[in-house]
Amino acid sequence: MAPVEEKLRCTKEPYIEDVGSRKIKSIRFTTLSSEEIRKSAEVQVWNNRIYGNDLQPVENGLLDRRMGSANKKIQCATCHGKFTECPGHFGYLKLTLPVFNVGYFSSILDILKCICKTCSRILLPEEDRREFLRKMRNPKADALQKNALLKKIRDKCKMFRCPRCGSSNGVVKKARTGLAIAQHFTKSVDESAEEIRSALSHKKDKQSFQAAHVITPGAAFALFKRMLDEDCEVLNLYDRPEKLIVTEIAVPPATIRPSGFVGFGRTSNEDSITSILKNIINTNSILREDLEGGAPASKCIDCWTHLQIQVVEYINSDSPSVPESKHRGLIQRLKGKQGRFRGNLSGKRVEYTGRTVISPDPNLKITEVAIPVLMALVLTYPERVSYYNIEKLRQCILNGPDKYPGANFVQKPDGSTMHLKYVNKKIVANDLKYGDIVERHLEDGDIVLFNRQPSLHRMSIMCHRARIMPWRTLRFNESVCNPYNADFDGDEMNLHVPQTEEARTEALMLMGVQNNLCTPKNGEILVASTQDFLTSSFLITRKDTFYDRATFSLMCSFMGDAMDSIDLPTPALIKPVELWTGKQLFSVLVRPNACTRVFLNLIVKEKIYTDNETMCPCDGYVYFRNSELISGQLGKVTLGNGNKDGLFSVLLRDYNSHAAASCMNRVAKLSARWIGNHGFSIGIDDVQPGEYLNQQKKKKIDEGYRECHEHISSYSKGQLTCEPGYNAAQTLELKITSVLNQIRTTAGNVCMNTLHWRNSPLIMSQCGSKGSAINISQMVACVGQQSVGGRRAPNGFIDRTLPHFPINSKTPAAKGFVANSFYTGLTATEFFFHTMGGREGLVDTAVKTAETGYMSRRLIKSLEDLSVHYDQTVRNASSGIVQFLYGDDGMDPAKMEGKDGIPLNLSQLFMKVMATCPHRVLDTLSPSEILQIMDDRLSKHDMSPEGGCSAAFKKLLTDFVNSRVVLMRNTRRALKLDEDHTEQKDISLTERIAANISGISSKQLQVFLDNCISRYHFKKVETGAAIGAIGAQSIGEPGTQMTLKTFHFAGVASMNVTLGVPRIREIINAAKNIKTPIITAKLLSDRDALSASIVKGSIEKTVLGEVAKAIQIVIKSHRPYISVKLDMGLIKALHMRISADSVQLSILNHPKIKLKPEHIRILRSDKLRIYAPEADKSQLQFSLHSLKAMLPKVIVKGIPTAERVVIDKTKQGIYKLFIEGTNLLAVMGTPGIDARNTKINHVIEVHETLGVEAARQSIIDEIHDTMRNHGMSIDKRHMMLLADVMTYKGEVLGITRFGIAKMKTSVLMLASFEKTAEHLFNASYSGREDKIDGVSECIIMGIPMRLGTGILKVKQRLEQIPDFKYVPGPVLNRSNI
Amino acid sequence: MVELLFEDIFVLMRLDPDGKKFDKVSRIEARSEQFDMFMQLDINTEIYPMHVGDKFTMVLAPTLNLDGTPDSGYFVQGNRKSLADKFEYVMHGKLYKISEDSSSGKNAKVEIYASFGGLLMMLKGDPSNAANFELDQRIFLLIRKV
Repeated sequence: MAPVEEKLRCTKEPYIEDVGSRKIKSIRFTTLSSEEIRKSAEVQVWNNRIYGNDLQPVENGLLDRRMGSANKKIQCATCHGKFTECPGHFGYLKLTLPVFNVGYFSSILDILKCICKTCSRILLPEEDRREFLRKMRNPKADALQKNALLKKIRDKCKMFRCPRCGSSNGVVKKARTGLAIAQHFTKSVDESAEEIRSALSHKKDKQSFQAAHVITPGAAFALFKRMLDEDCEVLNLYDRPEKLIVTEIAVPPATIRPSGFVGFGRTSNEDSITSILKNIINTNSILREDLEGGAPASKCIDCWTHLQIQVVEYINSDSPSVPESKHRGLIQRLKGKQGRFRGNLSGKRVEYTGRTVISPDPNLKITEVAIPVLMALVLTYPERVSYYNIEKLRQCILNGPDKYPGANFVQKPDGSTMHLKYVNKKIVANDLKYGDIVERHLEDGDIVLFNRQPSLHRMSIMCHRARIMPWRTLRFNESVCNPYNADFDGDEMNLHVPQTEEARTEALMLMGVQNNLCTPKNGEILVASTQDFLTSSFLITRKDTFYDRATFSLMCSFMGDAMDSIDLPTPALIKPVELWTGKQLFSVLVRPNACTRVFLNLIVKEKIYTDNETMCPCDGYVYFRNSELISGQLGKVTLGNGNKDGLFSVLLRDYNSHAAASCMNRVAKLSARWIGNHGFSIGIDDVQPGEYLNQQKKKKIDEGYRECHEHISSYSKGQLTCEPGYNAAQTLELKITSVLNQIRTTAGNVCMNTLHWRNSPLIMSQCGSKGSAINISQMVACVGQQSVGGRRAPNGFIDRTLPHFPINSKTPAAKGFVANSFYTGLTATEFFFHTMGGREGLVDTAVKTAETGYMSRRLIKSLEDLSVHYDQTVRNASSGIVQFLYGDDGMDPAKMEGKDGIPLNLSQLFMKVMATCPHRVLDTLSPSEILQIMDDRLSKHDMSPEGGCSAAFKKLLTDFVNSRVVLMRNTRRALKLDEDHTEQKDISLTERIAANISGISSKQLQVFLDNCISRYHFKKVETGAAIGAIGAQSIGEPGTQMTLKTFHFAGVASMNVTLGVPRIREIINAAKNIKTPIITAKLLSDRDALSASIVKGSIEKTVLGEVAKAIQIVIKSHRPYISVKLDMGLIKALHMRISADSVQLSILNHPKIKLKPEHIRILRSDKLRIYAPEADKSQLQFSLHSLKAMLPKVIVKGIPTAERVVIDKTKQGIYKLFIEGTNLLAVMGTPGIDARNTKINHVIEVHETLGVEAARQSIIDEIHDTMRNHGMSIDKRHMMLLADVMTYKGEVLGITRFGIAKMKTSVLMLASFEKTAEHLFNASYSGREDKIDGVSECIIMGIPMRLGTGILKVKQRLEQIPDFKYVPGPVLNRSNI
Repeated sequence: MVELLFEDIFVLMRLDPDGKKFDKVSRIEARSEQFDMFMQLDINTEIYPMHVGDKFTMVLAPTLNLDGTPDSGYFVQGNRKSLADKFEYVMHGKLYKISEDSSSGKNAKVEIYASFGGLLMMLKGDPSNAANFELDQRIFLLIRKV
């Protein structure tokens, strides 16, 4: 760094120990004393001028050269480095008087509360002090426990009189204004205080007694200095407390507060820190002058306060004690999204990147990305020169930086680099040697990372191979749109070029598109055909597409750029003309020639499937047998994303990712070219309704309107029978809504049935490429009801939606029903309602993004460091075990084939084995033989728990084989054969047929079982996998897709449950109060309606007002009373068992009504008299009335928290109870309730009543249910992991800043999450040591984390490093001869 | 000589039992006279129109070669003499499924399914007629009106 300095010449070189490379292992947070600050500083700063008249930094000023350079012109005087080289050096600034550090202010306050203000000893009796000291010194206690202990100690230190020196101590409080500490003696038990008070009471104007005494920073400093080290230890102080008070300020290096001159002027533009420090220097010198010059005390104190405020501003300019600061203090530099922690340490700016608009190109492979030449000229890759590439690189150097394919730099092994723009390229090219590094332009086949924000899951950044192309956009195959969630309406994407071979290989292996076809969320395929590809595949495979030889051959050539060899199949139609069908074209696509050994077997039911399996009249049953498309029209279910047994998924599982990817490439090419020739567009005639449809629609709408009017009229007459749990108005809404929805559905159905099959929107909705039946019927038939907030349009005017309608009108049209279609056009009012609905959607999306983004961030922060270790346990960074076996079976969610996270789809696999491994008639097995073979196989080592096989999988396999045996028996019974035995010798006709239908040969069974088992073992999760981050993404990402619709029906019509993002947030936050707590209770006698209603009666909260016929005041001459008459009929009908006695008891138990038993007289079993307790006659009237107001609210029966109970009857006639409210324990204890099957959706309540394991299960179930309600499936392993993280500390911790602070120990991690400054100050108060082993910490420190490929370390003996020579091996060597 | 897998005369009972779904292809339902077989078959009616009541011979053969040499699986062009010469409508496809149908009372019937490039055939009848068939067999379907 300092080339200027002349090296000291010695006769003998001094011995310098080679320390080798060092790695940061841990960081300790502490406080600096003034000596330490002074020692580490290069210069004392006292001059308030920054630049002198010569525009050079002033000595001892804030930009003194010794502190490093603040701009490019200044050179450091300490290390003689330039602006870019010098890291900067500290200075120090001595304060005249000590001031508080805001960051430690609360800690200072707490210490002062605990010590005697006279003798500085802790305010604890000696034995307590010893006890606490012992506990504090316990080496096993972690930071959290110590903090809890400290809190306890603080609570104990409430003595007024010091046990040692006996002086009295007042209450220490923060002063009302500013940053100051006051000691109040008001409350202290002191004779003198009493005396003063009595003296003051004689004064006329009632002056309140104030004995406040301000503890100045100076006083506090003196007190702290006198504190014993042991006392410090009791208070969990790592270091001397006087360090918490500022006496010297470490002036930060000039490099971090750059200064520049504005234009040509003489005024400089200073950093916030510099300006604040300048102010501090000013105030400081004034204060010194005042003190030395003997200025009045009040002036000095004012000045001191001012200094205090400026020092506060320096540290935290947002502090409430600083009035409106324009500057950014130190804390402001650290915290927040743009702050040092999140903006610069956790995420860094990088080189070798590009960004531009994206566009589609179906001719590219799915693994490729087209990079514009312009971009390739800038992005380079440093390639090392070897025998194999020297000629290529020479040419690159000759081409130079401006001609593609060229190079920009050449690096020589001695470390020098040459920019090819400024050197003679020919010479450099000639001088090129093996081992040089050429930074050449990007070329075809280079490895790049491609990314689109928001990066919600790991597939948002994937590795592609570069294709350098003309023009200016980044292009890729549309099949890869899904993982990036990209479209081409102007989206931009980013590109990064890894710069080392290791990075390239790792990127290709781990992030390659090919290796990320499936999402780890649930194992569904994500990279798959979309949009037009689906449409054209759908049209090609229609039953009536026939091609002659020329067309068929042409289309075969489409799918591989005419580069592949293709075996032309036998035409399906031979006579009268040779014709091939579209399905044959797809068979060719899957298996172009006999050399491609891909035998695809799958069965998928498409959207259009009706019945009859392959014979489905609509041809919706897709059946591939040995790569031949037998039947079915391909659509989204087969080719699209979000499916587990589609074509590409099966190819991927049965063969490999290459098979799936190349098939996708062929589909993309064929489809794009085919649809280009065929043409596909929408015209006005596509949305014109026919005559029949118009009639039907009119009929339906008229019918619906009539029905609605009937409902409305019966409502206005008051004849409407209410639905359970609803009032009349709600019932009316419910009925009208259902009628109107019915109208749209029927109109839509009619519309779908009458459209011609060539109708483009119809085709698109049938194959699933775009749009649904609702979209079509909105265009053609009827737009339907518009809803705002899940209801019909609200009243924007007084009692009506719009002034076009009569007041209180509830007709369909007045409440937002749009009877017109988009084709016919909307009326003015309809249009208005439509925009209301549309606006809600827009607002929703905007709100949702911010909310789910924050949720994802919290999830990631809490789960980021979890990974699978070599012993299959899931551990966090500090090696704490979270799960003993990931997901209870150690399977990788991305590789799961079956539904609900089952490892294998056995029926598909069985079908494949049966088809690819045909049996001969002779060798079919009998059922008993099958079971025998299976048992033999299952008893082997790799099917045992020690061999790594879960019991669930074993059972799955056994059940499946048993079900096949049952099928086989059925066949044989039907053909009248011996069920359990197959004759080997005598091959009768029927025997042959039976074998053809459901026979299994021993070979087939063997292959099937082996296949299943080996595949199962292959699906184990890899060691080191960052399953925590994956789990967090898998839960966070679906959140963005969830519509913010809060309410939804759960089972019973009248019960609302919070759903969507708000519900997920409730669960994840482990909220104490949730919006809709619901208890689902099973009954002991669940087929009995009567018992259900009895149990309901005993649970539901019932108040006196509901069951009383009358509550009235009776005023009689001698003693007025309130008479309560119970409605025994109602009580009987609801089976509530309320009598006058029970009512008396509940009134007595009511907390607010203070009556004694003698005040309540029971007259009959249904009648009570209540007397007012007041003896005072004047108060009697009032007390009676207040009693009367309170009485109806007295709870006479049920659980107070159970607001409402609804009986639900399932189709099987089983009764269940839904209880709105909490208190699971009381419900479980109610007679008649099946306590073991009673659930609540409130996680915290579950934890309190049933314990932490139940809470864990409850978290899993609740997240699963919420996701399922939105039609999203997430592998249960992710939810298990989340639930385990939330509960593994023994209590339910929310994924919030409080919960995460309890889960994690690392200060850096917490500081990079939220409350940055708070965590840092607390850490240095207690001297926390932070091990650098978590993900966040490693990123901040720039160390590879111990996760994924970083989990292992390779150690190598360095005795002899083999010499690598960059020369080719001899052409002829011994082995060749 | 070619060994035929199946030969019978059918009468077309119904055309498009589930309604006309496709322009060029119709599904026919036919019943045979000799073995009382029931058949559903997709036929390209654009090039070979059929009507209700039509009587036709249907043959299923493993090869078109007159000498009975098995079909190679590869399509050979040329106007060699073949079994197809005697027929008006010839399709080539694959037998993909054999199953039993026990729904129709005591006598279980066997269903044979074949796909001719997506044009499907379902042949249902007595098990004895199904003995010659094997799964994954390549078959030719030949039709001649009588």
